[in-house]
Amino acid sequence: MWHLTLAQARAHRARLALTLVAVVLGVTFVTGSLALTDTSQRLFEDQFRTATAGVDLTIRDSAAFDSAMGVEVERDPLPAGIVDTVRGVDGVADAAASAVGQGLLEVDGRPAVPAGPSVLSSWSPAPFGAFDVREGTEPTEDGDVVLDVATARTYGVSVGDRVTVRADRTGTLRVVGLAGFGTQDGLADSTVALVTLPTAQRLLGLGDEVTQVQVVAAEGVAPTDLQEAVGRRIGTAFDVATAQDTVSAGADAARSRLAMIRVMLLSMAGAALLVGGFLIANTFSIVVSQRSRELALLRAVGATARQLRTSVLGEALVLGAVGSAIGTVLGVAAGYGLRGVAASFGVALPDGGLVVAPRTLLVSLGVGVVVTVLSAVGPARRAARVAPVEALRESRTAAPSRRRVAAGAVAASVAVAAVGAALGGAGVALVAVGAVAVLVALVLLGPALAPSLARVVGRPLGAAGVTGRLARESAARAPRRTAATTTALAVGLALVAFMTILGQSVKASSAGTYQDVVSADLVVESARAEMLGGLSHDVHHAVEDVPEVAVVSRVRYGHWKDAGATSALTAVEPETLGEVASVDMVAGSIDALADGGVVVAADEAAERGVEVGDMLTMTFARTGDQDLEVVGLVDERDAQALATGYLVSMETYAEHFTEDVDASLLVALADGVSVADGERAVADALTGFPTAAVRDLAAVAQARAAAVDEILGLVTVLLLLAVAIALLGITNTLALSIVERTREIGLLRSVGTTRRQVAWMVRWEAVLVAVLAVVVGVALGAGLGAAGVRALSGSDPVAVSWPVGRLALLVLVATAAGLLAGALPARRASRIGVLAAVARR
Amino acid sequence: MTTTLLPATRTVAAEARAVVKTYGKAETEVRALDGADVRIDRGRFTAIMGPSGSGKSTLMHVLAGLDTVDSGQVRIGDTELTSLTEDQRTLLRRERIGFVFQSFNLVPSLTAGENIALPLTLARRRPDPAWTDRVLETVGIAGRLGHRPSELSGGQQQRVAVARALVARPEIVFADEPTGNLDSRTGDAVLGLLRHATGELGQTVVMVTHDPAAAAHADRVVFLVDGRVVDELDDPTSAAVHAATARLGAGKE
Repeated sequence: MWHLTLAQARAHRARLALTLVAVVLGVTFVTGSLALTDTSQRLFEDQFRTATAGVDLTIRDSAAFDSAMGVEVERDPLPAGIVDTVRGVDGVADAAASAVGQGLLEVDGRPAVPAGPSVLSSWSPAPFGAFDVREGTEPTEDGDVVLDVATARTYGVSVGDRVTVRADRTGTLRVVGLAGFGTQDGLADSTVALVTLPTAQRLLGLGDEVTQVQVVAAEGVAPTDLQEAVGRRIGTAFDVATAQDTVSAGADAARSRLAMIRVMLLSMAGAALLVGGFLIANTFSIVVSQRSRELALLRAVGATARQLRTSVLGEALVLGAVGSAIGTVLGVAAGYGLRGVAASFGVALPDGGLVVAPRTLLVSLGVGVVVTVLSAVGPARRAARVAPVEALRESRTAAPSRRRVAAGAVAASVAVAAVGAALGGAGVALVAVGAVAVLVALVLLGPALAPSLARVVGRPLGAAGVTGRLARESAARAPRRTAATTTALAVGLALVAFMTILGQSVKASSAGTYQDVVSADLVVESARAEMLGGLSHDVHHAVEDVPEVAVVSRVRYGHWKDAGATSALTAVEPETLGEVASVDMVAGSIDALADGGVVVAADEAAERGVEVGDMLTMTFARTGDQDLEVVGLVDERDAQALATGYLVSMETYAEHFTEDVDASLLVALADGVSVADGERAVADALTGFPTAAVRDLAAVAQARAAAVDEILGLVTVLLLLAVAIALLGITNTLALSIVERTREIGLLRSVGTTRRQVAWMVRWEAVLVAVLAVVVGVALGAGLGAAGVRALSGSDPVAVSWPVGRLALLVLVATAAGLLAGALPARRASRIGVLAAVARR
Repeated sequence: MTTTLLPATRTVAAEARAVVKTYGKAETEVRALDGADVRIDRGRFTAIMGPSGSGKSTLMHVLAGLDTVDSGQVRIGDTELTSLTEDQRTLLRRERIGFVFQSFNLVPSLTAGENIALPLTLARRRPDPAWTDRVLETVGIAGRLGHRPSELSGGQQQRVAVARALVARPEIVFADEPTGNLDSRTGDAVLGLLRHATGELGQTVVMVTHDPAAAAHADRVVFLVDGRVVDELDDPTSAAVHAATARLGAGKE
């Protein structure tokens, strides 16, 4: 039997080729996503491992948690004297202090802005430091700097040049050497400036303090034993970590940073596989119906229903395995390409050799095989139902069973109810239920609805004459084929329409909210994509000093933890916020923040069941668990404009956070100053701060919208892959149906239909299927999109904005693509000779 | 293996009794079999004849367990078919029955040899080499076993089909218009083969045909009209079959 399966797969390889493409594309996506994120993870881990090689313990100020949302928390500095204390501990061979922080590098007056951090660190010789001098010397005097080889190469810096480093203070330094990091030329997506400890302390504004102390254990002393001994000596105010702890903490941060992009890429791979599944099911259905006489013959000579089922599934297994294998290989190659995609999402991934974990191979192969085999289950069951007498008579198509229609109707009702409820304000979960129900209803009801839908939508085809009518009837007479092809394309298009509507609405609402709430004339923000922003005090002071400026109100962000879950908060200046923003309070007052406490968004407060006067326990990295009094409740949309649902004062922030950078400055201009003049004046004041950018409110709102657009655009491009697979499905299905209709087409030719007419008949059918899919897909996408927007906007409904232009474009593109998809089958059909009608096979 | 049975001790290989089979519903109902009775003797070559629409093909399908009946009994050896499930009938076909159809007898993706072995492969049975050799020698296609059906002539394809029907050593071989698509010379060769299978190999063969010349190769001819057996002829000659056909099918064919 296995032999027969293989022989079948070989014999039908042309028919299965496009199906194979669908499997390959889906699997490629999965493999690529996994390989890429694994590689990045590995490279980050390697980096941490190299950084701590040779060091047994690292001592830093203690923190309640190491990182939040992929960002490592900043810690307070340590007194320098701690090095001598640590050296005195039994079992310590040596200890060294270092100062590490952020320092923007400027070459020839132009800032060198990497995708990742700008590292400024004191030079530590081996074994403490992981950098080794490749050229020149190490920094020995104040004013010396060593850059990493990669940065020097990128920005054209050589030994002897001068560069500027901007940290807490700014210094112009002489490049005395270039260094490598282990076998690498530098850190991934970073610039590294290495200076003497005093220079680092001066530039970072540490005084005589340091940021960490590294310890090497004496021969034969276990790091964990030493960790305990050192901890006992210096007390709990400090955090003593083994090299292993440090590596795993860094890896954790990297992992959560990568989690988002991984989920995003994998869900798009899922969409491609879903559409591919329809294509596979369709191809197998057609192949089975074309082989019905052969299957009947097999049944007649004694094949059991189970044997035929197994045979078809076996064929799917072979196809799935081959497709997955090819897809996996291609996916590894595509991993590099996806790096660019990730960069556009604002996730910088390091370069380097690709990591292909066994898990990646297993998942990719498994997913491809499982999807293919599952998609073939329906056709396999149909194959098993072929009656042996059919070998001897012409086969006919069965009408969809009543049970199937009933089940489909149930699914459709569930879908309508769920979407209706979501539109009425129910939760996001119901939208998901609705989406699944829609899919099920589409699959079950498709064959029953296809004939009438095809006839209605295909009405205009009558204008194309007899070829158009024939095309319409051909689509209507093969309901299963038409339904499956349409569903695959409709699902792809529905996803695109859904994302477009969702994105457009989110964009419109967030821009609207921002402009409703923030009334500042100008906004100063970091031009770099940093999660917490990156404006130093100097920026704040410089803007304050501009005569045209009346008020500057600072905004900061920070992370805190709540029973393990990471949340964000916004720090504001209550005394000036009122002059640059109109924040609606539901209860209490924002001014009360001046005396400490926290203002919570109304919806978050309701979820937690807290009211004004209650205490909220928040865990901060620097100070651990703290009880803050809830002093006010803010309207949740206004909270959104300030980015988080928790507001504290700058003083409270300074108490609990080491981070000392502003995310944005909200600027109100003095009376009588025009926005343009004010912007010019502020921009002039900021010339010394290359990463600070000033914009008026409209530009800021637009930039926020542009960010949504960028993600939306990328998601759409990736989803179009699913649409492309579905179009392949039209080509494949029609090409296969031509084989089935050889006699019919031969007959048409024999009664005088020209080749051109036959070709147009096939093309019209392709267009009809595409338009049908557009109608169904866009309608479903629009319904689910509207429901999604409502569900996501909570108690305060966001208006659904309809991207009419984009949707119209989608309709046009899909129709044209349908025409294109019909080209190959049309050619094939037009080549069928007149004799085919009379000749028996 | 070539035990020749004496006429007096002939046993029944298959039997249909008062079989009724209808297709369609209400006005479009067609009574394909209307109380058909027939006995198939073991070791003989029986031809079922009748005009188009007489129900001869349906009778064969019913006897072979390819199709079910509305009422009546059908027996293969001692097995009553009407009480069997579809899967049981499949197993019965696999173990005890061989088929030769008019066309589309072979699986296009398998070679001739693989097609012949198909019933054994499906049943996971080991072929009996001596028997297989004998069958292949009889049908005379030993040199073309590696070819695919598309590379064989119509006559060769039917020989492969006959070999496939014989290889599992079934109790009965059913042939449905086996010469329908062949020219008369090739057709004669295939009929000779079936004849040989009954004589030399001791097979029971049932053939459905509308061709009197083909029916004349049989030991016995059963005539069907309107779903009933109306006449029988033992050791027919071509002329006798012609005469009977003319008598029964007047105005029908």
